[in-house]
Amino acid sequence: MSESLPLSLTINGRAVGPVDVPLGMPMIDFLHEHLNLTGTRFGCGQGICHACTVVIEAADGTTSESRTCIFDAHYFNGKSIVTIEGQAPRDADGNVIELTPVQKAFIDNFAFQCGYCTPGFVTGATVFMDSLKRKPVRRADLEQAIEDALNVHLCRCTGYVRYYEAIRDLALATPGYVID
Amino acid sequence: MTDRRTEMPIVRPDDDLPRRTGLSRRSFIRLGVFSGIAVTLSRVVPAQAIEVDSTKPAGDWMGPDGRPRYRWDAISKVTGDKVFARDFRARDLAGWPQTQAHAFFVKATRADRVFEDIDLSALGPDLQPDRVVLHEDLANDRITVPQKVMGHGFYGYDFLTPKGQTPRMLGHPVALLVYSDFDRFVAAKRTLAFRTDTVRYGEDTGPKPPANYGVDRWVRVGSDDPFAEPLFSGLKDGPIRGGFDGNTPVWPPTLTEPLEPPTQRLRDRSVPLERPPRSADEQQRHEEAGMGYAADIAAEIDAAKSAAGKLVLERSGFSQSIDPSAMEPDNGNAWYDAETRTLHILAATQSPYGVAQAAAEMVKDCAFPVDTIDLLTGTTVGYGSKDYSIFPLYTVMAAFYGDGLPVRLANNRYEQFQMGMKRHSFDIDITLVADRESGHFEILKGSYACNGGGRANLSVAVSHEAIRGAQSMYYFPKSDLTAVALASPAVEAGSMRGFGALQAQTILELMVDEAAEALDIDAIELRRRNALAEGYANTQGGPQGGAMRNVDMLDRAAAHPLWRDRAARKAAYEAANPGQRYGVGYAQVNKVYGAGGDVSALALEFEPDGRLVLRHCCQEIGTGATTAQQVMIWQAIGKAPDAVTFGITDFPELPLTTDGSAADGVKNPFWTPSYLPDMSSSASVYYLGFATRQVGRFLFEHTLWPAARSIWSRGVGGGGISPLWVTLADLRITEDGVAGGGMRPIPFDELAAEAHRLGLITGVAMHTYSLWQWATAEFDVPTVGPVTIPADALSVRYGNGASDALKARMTTGGYDFIKRSSVTYPPNGRGNGDPMTNAASGCLVAVSVTEGTGAVEVVGLHSLLDAGRPIVPELVSGQQQGGLAMGLGHALMEELPLYEDGPGDGTWNFNRYKLPRAADVAVWAQTSEYLPPLADTDPPKGIAEAVMVPVIAATGNAIAHATGQRFYELPFTSDKIAKALP
Repeated sequence: MSESLPLSLTINGRAVGPVDVPLGMPMIDFLHEHLNLTGTRFGCGQGICHACTVVIEAADGTTSESRTCIFDAHYFNGKSIVTIEGQAPRDADGNVIELTPVQKAFIDNFAFQCGYCTPGFVTGATVFMDSLKRKPVRRADLEQAIEDALNVHLCRCTGYVRYYEAIRDLALATPGYVID
Repeated sequence: MTDRRTEMPIVRPDDDLPRRTGLSRRSFIRLGVFSGIAVTLSRVVPAQAIEVDSTKPAGDWMGPDGRPRYRWDAISKVTGDKVFARDFRARDLAGWPQTQAHAFFVKATRADRVFEDIDLSALGPDLQPDRVVLHEDLANDRITVPQKVMGHGFYGYDFLTPKGQTPRMLGHPVALLVYSDFDRFVAAKRTLAFRTDTVRYGEDTGPKPPANYGVDRWVRVGSDDPFAEPLFSGLKDGPIRGGFDGNTPVWPPTLTEPLEPPTQRLRDRSVPLERPPRSADEQQRHEEAGMGYAADIAAEIDAAKSAAGKLVLERSGFSQSIDPSAMEPDNGNAWYDAETRTLHILAATQSPYGVAQAAAEMVKDCAFPVDTIDLLTGTTVGYGSKDYSIFPLYTVMAAFYGDGLPVRLANNRYEQFQMGMKRHSFDIDITLVADRESGHFEILKGSYACNGGGRANLSVAVSHEAIRGAQSMYYFPKSDLTAVALASPAVEAGSMRGFGALQAQTILELMVDEAAEALDIDAIELRRRNALAEGYANTQGGPQGGAMRNVDMLDRAAAHPLWRDRAARKAAYEAANPGQRYGVGYAQVNKVYGAGGDVSALALEFEPDGRLVLRHCCQEIGTGATTAQQVMIWQAIGKAPDAVTFGITDFPELPLTTDGSAADGVKNPFWTPSYLPDMSSSASVYYLGFATRQVGRFLFEHTLWPAARSIWSRGVGGGGISPLWVTLADLRITEDGVAGGGMRPIPFDELAAEAHRLGLITGVAMHTYSLWQWATAEFDVPTVGPVTIPADALSVRYGNGASDALKARMTTGGYDFIKRSSVTYPPNGRGNGDPMTNAASGCLVAVSVTEGTGAVEVVGLHSLLDAGRPIVPELVSGQQQGGLAMGLGHALMEELPLYEDGPGDGTWNFNRYKLPRAADVAVWAQTSEYLPPLADTDPPKGIAEAVMVPVIAATGNAIAHATGQRFYELPFTSDKIAKALP
């Protein structure tokens, strides 16, 4: 057995740990088996399909997307992350109060089918939208920007079209995110 | 809280992290008794979805106009709820222990040498498993692969390769390692990954796969008149059964004892309700006659080769093995509770009924007494690959070795490639004969040989489906088609979207494009001259159901700018992009929906306050079927259900039996040929939805209409309806309720109250059956009278105001089971003429091929589909787009070697196996169109399976247009193209 070290981080706005976690345990296993947060989906274990991504919130308020299947849980020590379970605000009983704009755009556009890859797409699109907030994109470049940001995400059911349309429409409908 | 083994503090999300399991409302449903063992089933997802559905915003999923705002299951999927079987652990499941064991397989990466033993020394002392399970342990405990429920050899012969035997296929499990805690389990699994010294091999025996699985032949000799009775056909005379000399088919009369294909209940599309009542001698005479006609066809082909007026095109093609790559890898969780003698199973499956039956057979005589099996299923996805897969049975096997703990098996992606079901590779030889002057096709002769790998599974059915789809969208006066299912040491192949027809139709569509060039006829025009139409006979002799719409679709494709302007576009594109070659290709197919022997069942009832409750056999596999079924309810009666449960596999209101024969069915009102469906064959919207629509229609006619008439008749002189003439035909479903004939719309809730007050029928349970023809039966229904409907079983509930005498009849699951007074089932042998329900689908593809590298970029994509009358257009287009992407993957990038360096070696993952990404599918440029329904009563048709087929051949034809080179070996990779380019 490998050595265990204490791990502390913030998940969905709550402090977790310190808790001893074996070195070498991928973050996704920690989420699934130790925390029972199974919405972050295992797809390949190689960092290829991006079904397993979570949002990392930096101290300066910026966000980035990180895979959890290839990064050790300890890589996230001290970080603040948001898993799919923490995207939409919930009440004390865990019921969803309101969907995020990305989540709403996806369901309104019938974007997903089986839904296994959906948490990764929500994560990727959320980080992309956050990047537009800080750095708007020209209208002519919008489609390519979406493709550049989301092409790493694999989906086997949908052919991507409805996911991409949903993100495009949301970006266009959000003031200040797309400029002429 | 601490982990009991490591003493580490464990953070549980129950206290401080948001999550939901939603299992508190889970209810168990009795599934039946198999092998003397009671089996219950529960769906974790629907129960959870009901809970989600009861809260906002999920409760608003359907608009007042009956159109869904979003999928019924959208909220839970987009917020990360536990929905897949893979999401659940024992601690999430009511009544299961809070801790559980985890297990993984050691697998053979050689299938040519004897398995001797395993060597776990690499794990060191800390990571040794808590339990090692070998074949010998299973043998001692009498845990064996079921041989009866799906037929001998269907699931193979051994779960784990016995010592001293050669594994039947690459990647075959040889041992199961069980750990009582996750951390050691995952560390051990990581340690053994990719090691080649864990399995010890002995004598070199060469490959030892099972015997080949099946070989059959369909011959049809008709004429230019597609309506004329043929001299010989499958429908009329049956198939010709062959045998093998090695891998070479052998036929009567040389062959005296034909190979009997394994029993494949539910899904063997070749086995009719009953074999035609012929003696063995008669059958032999038919088969020998068929071989005579086959010889005549061969002679005619030979003659055509030297005839100036005939085109004879002979081509060999190959369609590769691919991995379904469902994003949820195979997984399961099972717990044997020795105290209560109960086996609990959580499975990811498209066929829970099949899992229950197989599990019951497995444990019937094993060393661990089992009285009850509780089966749970989650929502899943597999594109067919989780249909009758052995994986859930491995989960059952593992359950007995957890030392009292539940045992979880969950493939990682390497393991999924190594042992997950594959799409069959096919070697295909086709001869196409056409008349040069008319362009009419005259003969189709083909051999379609699929490689089933080391387990039979559905290989015979897949080979049969290949020949049934082989004609694509054309009428052939004469045909001779051979279906071959071979065994090999490759990883098992089974059900996968396309199911044989994809492979056969792709090669023919490539040939038709080449034939058009040889005949100097526009490729769409050549298709038009040979298109199948309504009522035409297929190559098995069966009629084509409904308007085929082939010519409509061809006309639209021909008028599309991609096709119409292809020459000008090619010139302009290549001028603007030096080094690139532009091409446009088209293909069109007719793809079957349904499998023959299609069944459905549901129960729909309402309370006086209008609360509507649906229980349905349909279950969710990602397509949105559970959404569409509810929309159909709204369309029929003006209200969506308030509470739903899907995936039901037992209806107490419909106590049917499949024991017996069709002859018994006339006498026994409880008999049906088949009870419940699996989720496959693009069958849900038409075939499963058929029963939904019939139940809705029954309530509309026999409940809502009389209730509305009663309300409209209130008052003096016969009420508001009396001065008018309002009939059932005038009634319409509107946003405000049932209206029509000038009357006030009445909301469903008001009608429900009136129906209960009058004691009308307030609940209907129905079972339907089709073997390319619907079973019909007459029922004498109290409050209604005699009715003949396309169903073979019917039960009803009566409203609160019904008489005591009527209520006393409600003794069958709370319903009055109406014993049919007569029934008509489809004739024996009709299955030999299948398929008879098809959807037309076409595709235009534009490609740019890079000179030098041969790289192909899809630059234009237009899909055409006859979806009938779509129930939820957004779901149809999503399926269509997904089908296009999957087809492009098959056309251009996805491929698995069968043997050496193939997936059985355990090293394959998405880094080597290229799946289409958004940039590969012209995500912003693709377009689509649907043939508008011909009438508002047109039914919906199957969808994605049809769409993914023509895009493959259209891509090949586009490459041919771009490069001048034709390719018949899939996929059309850049290296093949680069080599062929001058």
